[in-house]
Amino acid sequence: MSETTIATDKAPAVEVKNLSKHYGPVKALRNVDLTIAAGEYFVLLGPSGGGKTTLLRTIGGFHKPTEGQVLLHGRDMSHLPPDKRPTTMVFQAYALFPHMTVLQNVSYGLKVAGIDRKQAEEKAAAMMDVVGLSGFAERKPHELSGGQQQRVQLARALVLDRDILLLDEPLAALDAQLRKDMCLELKHLQEKVGITFIHVTHNQEEAMTVADRIALVADGNLVEHGKARDIYRAPVKKFTASFVGENNMLSGRVSDVNGVSCTVDVAGSQLVVQKRGQQVAHGQPVDLSIRSELVQLSRANGSNNAGDGHSILGSYDEAVYLGLTTSHLVRLPNGVEMTSRTISDAVDDLPTPGDPVRLHWQPEAIRLHTS
Amino acid sequence: MASLTTNSPGGAARSAGETSAVWRERVGRWIFYLPLAFMVVFFAVPMALTVVFSFFERTMFWMEPAFTLFSYNNFFFSARLENFLTSMKYSALAVVICFIFGFPIAVFIRRSIPQVAQHRVILLFILPFMVSEIIRVFALRPVLQRNGLVNTTLMDWGLIDEPITSLLYTHTGVVIGEVLSFLPFIVFAGFLAMEAVPKFIFEVCDDLGVGHRRRFTDVILPLAAPGIFAGAVFIFVNGLGVALLPNILGGPGAVNAGLIATQAITALDFPLAMAVSAIMMATLMGLLYIGHRLFDLTKILTPLN
Ligand SMILES: Nc1ncnc2c1ncn2[C@@H]1O[C@H](COP(=O)(O)OP(=O)(O)O)[C@@H](O)[C@H]1O
Ligand SMILES: [Mg+2]
Repeated sequence: MSETTIATDKAPAVEVKNLSKHYGPVKALRNVDLTIAAGEYFVLLGPSGGGKTTLLRTIGGFHKPTEGQVLLHGRDMSHLPPDKRPTTMVFQAYALFPHMTVLQNVSYGLKVAGIDRKQAEEKAAAMMDVVGLSGFAERKPHELSGGQQQRVQLARALVLDRDILLLDEPLAALDAQLRKDMCLELKHLQEKVGITFIHVTHNQEEAMTVADRIALVADGNLVEHGKARDIYRAPVKKFTASFVGENNMLSGRVSDVNGVSCTVDVAGSQLVVQKRGQQVAHGQPVDLSIRSELVQLSRANGSNNAGDGHSILGSYDEAVYLGLTTSHLVRLPNGVEMTSRTISDAVDDLPTPGDPVRLHWQPEAIRLHTS
Repeated sequence: MASLTTNSPGGAARSAGETSAVWRERVGRWIFYLPLAFMVVFFAVPMALTVVFSFFERTMFWMEPAFTLFSYNNFFFSARLENFLTSMKYSALAVVICFIFGFPIAVFIRRSIPQVAQHRVILLFILPFMVSEIIRVFALRPVLQRNGLVNTTLMDWGLIDEPITSLLYTHTGVVIGEVLSFLPFIVFAGFLAMEAVPKFIFEVCDDLGVGHRRRFTDVILPLAAPGIFAGAVFIFVNGLGVALLPNILGGPGAVNAGLIATQAITALDFPLAMAVSAIMMATLMGLLYIGHRLFDLTKILTPLN
């Protein structure tokens, strides 16, 4: 008995092995492998149509895998229905019983599970307190705001005592401010209840706010996964860099390889970049990325020399004022536009359009992507 | 509007434009009452007159003002009442049969047919209405009669030895006609009613482990109830009122309120026809009142966000 407890404690909450899901000719998931530890707040992030929902629903048992396995707490559950799994789902919206009160909505799952009414309602009421719904017991869903309706869904799911909560774009139907507030609340709720949350979103800010770890899903592939911070600071894949954060994407060819770094020719400038364990060969086309807030702008000082490997020349295009920050757009000789983002009003003496300027950065700010 | 006129004391050129604005506003306000006027002229007044005429005295070819309960006596203390009650019973049966066949069709269309195709499938159910009702009902005779399609087929298959004669000129015939005529209405009503069912509700049911029976009784039925009730009342009232069906498919005793009224008119007993109509109206109103108390029928027109 104690042995099995230890075994299940050790097993990850979710293990997805070589999972594929096809809808007729559409390959929504292709050979996905993923491990999610118990108690983690995990986010599936990616563009719409990438397969996030399909992955989440396959974990929850709403879809059968075409190929591969879903293990929950170490047990293969690929073919169990949703209610037989330790998972439960929160939908984007339109998922409450409109004819039931909040209390009835939250306690319905317990009643179905055979728990007697009084006990079920007590438990439901306690969970409603946890999600901040005390005092709303007798309301009907249409008398609640969008945010409150999502709280009801949370309570209805959490009250079941299953230990993996799946959330499919739970905040997508809310307005921007409310979404921010609810994001933080979700994070705190997860810390409070301590179970595994798997949250699907296409919004990177939302993902960064809540996630311990993030996986990027696009085109049916799991592109990259890692700690939220690492995904933002040091993405390995080109796709991740283009999707997360405001990155400048440059492409060029390797012109020199030496030890831990290499030199890449971008529009005639020789840029030095760390290899970060990636294999590159001379002449190979590669991509570089650099976050716009790490790019500094200065006027080109007459000498048109190639620079130190951490800067590039271009002509000033325009400034886009965004409130807190201002984006300075600079056109490189090859026509590619780069952005340097500064705190607004930090630069008083703006170049005029067409002025030659130099963009430069700290050596470790730029990243190499071979795939 | 008043302030508009007082604020423009002079200026002939300006007032021309303003007068038309004022007129537009005035007309706009009256247009608002137009539907009400329509309802009064074409529904309320005839209904009131029906009730008034039902108390009139019968004359040889028409009727004359009076206050007599003769027609009601004539209805309640004769075979007519029994026929009326029997036709209520069979109309109710038709409603139940329509529900059993029609509602699952509606649920199926909503759940299993891609959204873009749903309305086209619903349109299919409207097609039969393009054929005149008399012809549609009459066409049932060669199907149901003694040597009709049903009987010959069943006999060919060896399922029966003798033709079933109770399919036509009986209550059974009328019920068959009612079901075939009115089935589409319960499909429409059910289809509209299912609009009140939120998108992800069945997945929530999967997640909570709600079985098929509970899903039907706890979720689908309460949500669809107002629409279903409206469809059911419609069928029930038509079962009572449409004279055509028992006229063509019914026989001795298999008549409904509509046919009783028609027969009364043929017999030039107008007050009796009016009394039968008044009784039907009262039945309908009673049903709607019960329905409204049970389900709040106004909800039919307000699908949940
Ligand atoms: N039931 C379905 N039938 C057919 N194709 C589907 C179905 N559900 C999703 N897809 C397709 O699978 C791909 C992934 O969809 P989805 O998992 O919903 O992506 P995401 O949640 O990332 O937006 C999309 O191309 C979508 O069109
Ligand atoms: Mg999705």
